[in-house]
Amino acid sequence: MTAQSVVQDNGLGERKWRRRSLWGLLVLIPLTLAVEAYDSVKALLGDNDLFERSVAWGQSAHFGGSDWRLTDLRGAFGMKSLPPDSVPVLADFSVTVGDPDLQKLWLGCKVMLIDAEGRRWSPTSIVSLRTPDNVQTCISAIFSGAKTGETLNLRETFLVPKAATKTIRPAVGLGSERPHFLLFQLEKD
Amino acid sequence: MMRKLANLILLLVAVAFCYGLQISKPHYGDLIGPIPVRGKVGDTIVGRSFEVRAEKLEFARKLETDRFGETKVLTTGGVWAVVTVAFAARAESTSVAVASWRGPTGLTYDHTERLSFVNNGFLPVTVDPGLPRKARLVFEVSPAEAGNATVLISNKLLAALDSQAEISIGPVAVLSDGFPVGTVDTLDLSQPIDGQPK
Amino acid sequence: MLEGARSRLKAWIVTGIGTAAAIAVAGVLGAFEAGHAQVPVLARAGPIETGQWLLQPVKAYVSAEKYVYGTLRKPGTKALVFEVDMTNRTAQSTKDYFDLVQATRPPLDPATKPYIVLTRDSTLSPELHPGMTERMAYVWELPEGGAVPASLGLTVMSKIYKQRDNLYGLPGWFNPSPVGTLTIPVAPDTGGQP
Repeated sequence: MTAQSVVQDNGLGERKWRRRSLWGLLVLIPLTLAVEAYDSVKALLGDNDLFERSVAWGQSAHFGGSDWRLTDLRGAFGMKSLPPDSVPVLADFSVTVGDPDLQKLWLGCKVMLIDAEGRRWSPTSIVSLRTPDNVQTCISAIFSGAKTGETLNLRETFLVPKAATKTIRPAVGLGSERPHFLLFQLEKD
Repeated sequence: MMRKLANLILLLVAVAFCYGLQISKPHYGDLIGPIPVRGKVGDTIVGRSFEVRAEKLEFARKLETDRFGETKVLTTGGVWAVVTVAFAARAESTSVAVASWRGPTGLTYDHTERLSFVNNGFLPVTVDPGLPRKARLVFEVSPAEAGNATVLISNKLLAALDSQAEISIGPVAVLSDGFPVGTVDTLDLSQPIDGQPK
Repeated sequence: MLEGARSRLKAWIVTGIGTAAAIAVAGVLGAFEAGHAQVPVLARAGPIETGQWLLQPVKAYVSAEKYVYGTLRKPGTKALVFEVDMTNRTAQSTKDYFDLVQATRPPLDPATKPYIVLTRDSTLSPELHPGMTERMAYVWELPEGGAVPASLGLTVMSKIYKQRDNLYGLPGWFNPSPVGTLTIPVAPDTGGQP
């Protein structure tokens, strides 16, 4: 083998490999972007209640390891010293605990009301109504130490403008189920 | 020879170009800073999650408020600036927790922490969609920084990539003692804000 | 093969000599002596400048009052109070004064943290605003039965400003280092707040 032929061989091989590399980039760059973005996209989705899962009136839905059922949604009319045209609204849920690891599964628990325009109300601290002893909020229930098979009564209090009360529906989001959330339909739906 | 010179020039151009890129690049702190939304007193400023409108500006030498049923008087080495604002939530319930007063020379006075024992009508304020609420923002500022200031309001501290309302306070006339015209001796904060039940 | 080993050896020797020379130069320039420098003794009359603060010491005393600036005294302790006029020299409200003064000698331990009160209205550690001087009280707890020290020894600390920190690229005050030491006579308990 002469020196000349070695150089020519290398030249051919090089051209071939350069072409392969360029084609490789076409695959590798999108792949890298996808791998890099995976965690960020997951965190973004896991932080927001984006996709609703509708639950018919009277039905219960399995969510975050437990069975959730809306038992009541009503306004508490006639309270004084509230902003004009506002109504406190109480949402009651009955939850049968399945997986008792609530501190993990129910982390970031968020109960809200959603109206026809998509506006969302979080529980209020302006109104505090007296509740029976066996009624908890979603957050306090996380630390209640409830066991499998127990039924929890949850109640959240909201302050909503009178005009919005016709179309509000209660919804529940949990850290372990995001981006999905439960949207409860009412009897009249 | 020519070739060498050309290479050298190319190298210098590359160095200058890289240096230009480096100094013109925004710093990380600027990239993730708050996004300002500007307006004047009386304007409704619309941010991502809340709207705010400054309605009234008052100056006082002393503040008076209730603490556990007793009247408490708050004195200051400067002057109290009290801005009455109306907040509204946009699509979601939100809370507004942070405000500061930026004087004309850039000195920044954070919202006072000396009123933290009062929990209604001051920051943090939670607002629900369709239910606007009023609140008072209270700053302890040097009288020299009272005019031509900007009030900055955001949801939370380090509002990275979130809106920050910037309300410019116009010029404020000053008396011979350095205090703004219309500075009252004592402002009673235990009085409800106009048009809002306590 | 042998050639490669020889050049590698040569590289090692050159690197070694270079490093030794660098260390020697740094030593001559005093890089290793900064840590042992004696901190100066500060005049009690003040004012004392640190990076963020201007301090004017006022007084130190022991109090056995039930409330020391609005805070209930713990049973079995009395309070050693150091009052100081503080001016924020920065352009931003701050409460970065928790490690500003550190007690240096018995009966206080440098590790014991005082609580800090605004004397104007007994607010616990509020932010202080740019250029607005306020009298603050640093309050340490002493055992009730123990002897009252005749004087209070303090180290005053300062920080340096960085326009961009290495982690977030944001401005801030970092790297605390002592400005000097300060000795304040402690007034005995007179039965009330002087």
